[in-house]
Amino acid sequence: MRKLTIISLFFALISSFTIAAEVNIFSARHYDSDVQLYEKFTAATGIKVNVVSGKDKALQKRITEEGADCVGDLYITADAGRLGAFAAKGMMQNAGWSKAIRDAVPSQFRSKKWTGIAKRARIIYYSPERVSANELNGMTYEGLADPKWKGRLVIRKSNNIYNQSLVASLVKNNGKAKTAEWSKAVVANMARTPKGNDRAQIMAVAAGEADIAVANTYYHALMLSGKKGAEQQEAAKKVMPFFPNQQDRGTHINISGAGMLKHAPNKANAVKLVEFLLSEEAQNHIVNNTFEYPMISGVIPNDLVPGKEMNFVMDTKTSVKSYGAKQADALEVMLAAGWQ
Amino acid sequence: MLRKINIWYITSLLISLVVAIPILTVFSSFFDTTSAFVEVLKNTFLLQYIFNSICLLIGVLTLTFIIGVGCAYMVSFYNFPGVNFFKWALILSFAVPPYIYAYSLTAFFENYGTAFTILTNIFGEYNYNQYIPKFDELLGAILSLSFSLFGYVYILTRASFLYQSQNLIDIGRNIGFSKIESLFKVIIPSARPAIIAGLSLVSMETLSEFGAVDFFSVNTLTTAIYNSWISFDDLVFANQLSFYLLIFIFAAFLIENFSRNNAKYHLPSKGGFKEKQKINLTGKKSLLFFLGCSIVFFLSFIFPTSQMLYWTLKYPKHFHDLNITQLFFNTIYLVILSSLVLIVFSFISNYGNRVSRSKFLNALTTFSISGYAIPGVILAVAFITFISWFDENFVKVYDLKSIKKIFIGSIAGLVIVYFVRFYSLACNGLKSGYEKINRSVDESAYLIGYSKFKTFTKVHVPYLRNSVLFIIILVSLEIIRELPITLILRPFNYETFATTAYIFASQDLLEAAAVPALLLISIASLFILLTSKYILRDNSE
Repeated sequence: MRKLTIISLFFALISSFTIAAEVNIFSARHYDSDVQLYEKFTAATGIKVNVVSGKDKALQKRITEEGADCVGDLYITADAGRLGAFAAKGMMQNAGWSKAIRDAVPSQFRSKKWTGIAKRARIIYYSPERVSANELNGMTYEGLADPKWKGRLVIRKSNNIYNQSLVASLVKNNGKAKTAEWSKAVVANMARTPKGNDRAQIMAVAAGEADIAVANTYYHALMLSGKKGAEQQEAAKKVMPFFPNQQDRGTHINISGAGMLKHAPNKANAVKLVEFLLSEEAQNHIVNNTFEYPMISGVIPNDLVPGKEMNFVMDTKTSVKSYGAKQADALEVMLAAGWQ
Repeated sequence: MLRKINIWYITSLLISLVVAIPILTVFSSFFDTTSAFVEVLKNTFLLQYIFNSICLLIGVLTLTFIIGVGCAYMVSFYNFPGVNFFKWALILSFAVPPYIYAYSLTAFFENYGTAFTILTNIFGEYNYNQYIPKFDELLGAILSLSFSLFGYVYILTRASFLYQSQNLIDIGRNIGFSKIESLFKVIIPSARPAIIAGLSLVSMETLSEFGAVDFFSVNTLTTAIYNSWISFDDLVFANQLSFYLLIFIFAAFLIENFSRNNAKYHLPSKGGFKEKQKINLTGKKSLLFFLGCSIVFFLSFIFPTSQMLYWTLKYPKHFHDLNITQLFFNTIYLVILSSLVLIVFSFISNYGNRVSRSKFLNALTTFSISGYAIPGVILAVAFITFISWFDENFVKVYDLKSIKKIFIGSIAGLVIVYFVRFYSLACNGLKSGYEKINRSVDESAYLIGYSKFKTFTKVHVPYLRNSVLFIIILVSLEIIRELPITLILRPFNYETFATTAYIFASQDLLEAAAVPALLLISIASLFILLTSKYILRDNSE
């Protein structure tokens, strides 16, 4: 056993000193399919990808305190608000995105410091048995406050980042006071005290506990894929997707993205990795594993994802940067409304 | 006074200072300004969060008390079928971390979950969801925590029952107490220190727990800590809340200590100790006891393990996708290194306390409990903040090379923070062992010409062998299960069973999390099986 300890100690030591072409990632978006992508990248370029995954704020704290000693190149996370907020703290640098990246990613989904890699939509799921087409006609996020949904709506807790970004976009568009009233009305409409993740909301509609749910698109696709078992696959078929706000600003869109860290030691490699992640090959891999929407045009979303023709109106007017700026306001109005 | 200051004293002092780092860092938050979140929380959910935290604590304490003391009582005083099996099988609950218990509970009872599948397979298609009880939120958290933590109460209470003399029980009987009366008026009161010790470990774990509470997103003070930090970017208030939790625990300790100030709990002297006679049960009663232990064993171990096993078998792909050897070595490496460090330094500190007889050092050691009572993530953040502050203000000033790389994102850093977190567990465990060695033993050793060092190696170490093994097992299990500290401080590409399970679970793939979870449980169970005879030191065996 002692020998073993010494040997592993030795390996741990040398592995931290090997110098090779590499890129270091702090990732709060930890899909195992991402790891497969990194392996493909290494095979193609010889650049090794090192990863520490964890919770957003914990990673941010580590990066901040490490300061100039931080060897991280990229910070990857699944919320635009978090990217924007971290950049605003001065923890990122101008990445010098290549022309390929600038051409591939629409300008509202990137800044000089960070760029989106994939898109996700937060939409409404409904029971076609209990909700008529007429009822949903022209439905908006604002419409969730309509008293006709009393006792029929499920949505997760206020501490959830997806809800916070959605409500932040409402604060941005309608103002804090109006959103506060909206929150109160939404709470009054809830079929139950918020609990569970997005998938649990969809299942509550399938099980008849509620008529409409708010959830991210890839959760439903995950259920339809059969990865959660045959029963949930069946349950998923009992609910239908609805894209809100099609007549005005469009459906709430968030991104998964990567930002260039302030002290990145392998900046050129990091840009190469992002270029790779935005390549057709990688985008196809992402849409078929995480069920997100592609960031680049020309790649078709997975069959199980609603709106795969991308013919729905996306909210491109509300800058994703505002999700971070209005996050605290969003939580404040939700808490004040008694949103658990 | 000066006479006391020797190498032992200084080392003990240093250890205590290292352990005090997080509490000092957390306390320093009171000199910073907080965000608007404080006001928002005060106007909205603060009272409810406090209320929920108290409910969680009371719920877990009540359940662990009933299960832990109940099982210890049954296996210590009675003979019934399977009693020798249950004696150690009940400790297997330690192998299941609260967060994995939470995954199982959710997966089984959720809409379209495992229970739904079972019902469909037996009775055919139907919407069973409305009839399946839901164990989530506060209730889910209470159950997850209770079933994976009651082992503390069980082990410590059982050890205390073992040393209860038959005389005590005879006295109760002579007064005319029934068995139930004896239990509540004689047996439990005389085991009070052990029960309280177990319950205090449980309460600290409960208040600093991260995985299960986060998974169920129960609205407790832990939620407030996270909301403050994550949404309002207010780490200051998060730290202050953690500090209040700490004060609360200290207060509880003091009150308990104070309330039994005058009571003395002597171990019976050798001559007066009468071997306890176990009561042989037959018929209905023996069946009842057998069922009681079976249910606890089933709920605490078989239930979560079989849910994980079910998924592993149903989705074998996840099994092949994992680099199990690497995960195993990473996990074990951390366990061995950290246990070693913890044991060595606990020995030094305890020995230092013993030879220096310093009241000051003793008080400092009591302080060390703080590491165990602060939420792991706050502890890790406090450590990172401290290293950064120390580096900027001291190391940089003297133009030395930055120390950040040595301590942040390294095995060294991980081991130090584990050390801070679990030091009180190791140190106090050893202390209770040390207290049983009479000081006259030391004096005799010196008289026959033993040096202090030789006294230590030839007298103390053999005496303490069992305590040490018990501590190693406790600490190892804690480290195998540990999540928040490992998550934030680990080096690049360094995954353990716990972090892998968490990563899968956080992308809503509990099915994939099952494999690392099951392996984690297996290794922990193996640890327990190999050492159970030391944990369950039994006079009669």
